[in-house]
Amino acid sequence: MDRRRFHIVHDEQPDRHLVYIKGELDLAAAEQFRRAVEPLVDDAAKLLVIRLDELTYIDSTGIGMFVALLKTRKKQGAPFIIENVPPKVQRLFDLTGVSYFFSETNDITERVGGQS
Amino acid sequence: MKEHETVVQLSIPADAQFIDIARLTLYGLAAKMGFSYEEIEDMKVAVSEACNNAVLHAYNGKKGMIHLRFEMNAHSLVIVIKDEGKGFNYKQAAKQAAPLSAKPLEDVKVGGLGLFLMEALMDDVSVTTTSGTEVRLTKIRHQGEGEHAHECISSSSVQEQA
Repeated sequence: MDRRRFHIVHDEQPDRHLVYIKGELDLAAAEQFRRAVEPLVDDAAKLLVIRLDELTYIDSTGIGMFVALLKTRKKQGAPFIIENVPPKVQRLFDLTGVSYFFSETNDITERVGGQS
Repeated sequence: MKEHETVVQLSIPADAQFIDIARLTLYGLAAKMGFSYEEIEDMKVAVSEACNNAVLHAYNGKKGMIHLRFEMNAHSLVIVIKDEGKGFNYKQAAKQAAPLSAKPLEDVKVGGLGLFLMEALMDDVSVTTTSGTEVRLTKIRHQGEGEHAHECISSSSVQEQA
């Protein structure tokens, strides 16, 4: 029973952690996601980017984890952005209000980018 | 209306690894009924949220089952998600069921988000907690839109001829 429905790929670059998540980020995948991302979140020196191109499903479990990531990164004053959000995922981000916090961090990121 | 109801039932272990089976079943049945892609996506999330609550709160880490009942009517799909565990405090969750944007990020708590999503994505949500918890989710079939309208017309005219 190990045909995984969720995949995570991490690509470390000089200035950023690029994370690609694919498949279904639900309760069953939550622990795998947490384990993979936790060490990266604490690296405040680098930008954290999560790409959602191939994310086919998310619910409150995944959204809650994004909120936790946002909180941790904000406390550290470190930027965290999500990219390539599929429309059906974006719809849930909008409904729950989490997209509001993402636009906030994206603004910060732009300012940080402008200074460098 | 009730006489044309078709019921499909599914029982899964109250284990996160089986919630996708609930989604797959829902997808199959809702597609058969002619719901749109967006409506099916909405229902998938709502059903999963109810299952998530059963997995997380019903059985205190002990083994248990989740019973799903799909009631396919002419005008709606009703999905009943039931467990036999201790009742999840839906009343408490309902108080927190709100979108996140009303607060500063530091104060945001994600509890209640699942219930909020169920309410936002379905036409009706009702919860009973007598023996275990029973969540009843209703999605109305909005007929007369696009190509599905033709399917509905043809199926009803077939019924009239019979």
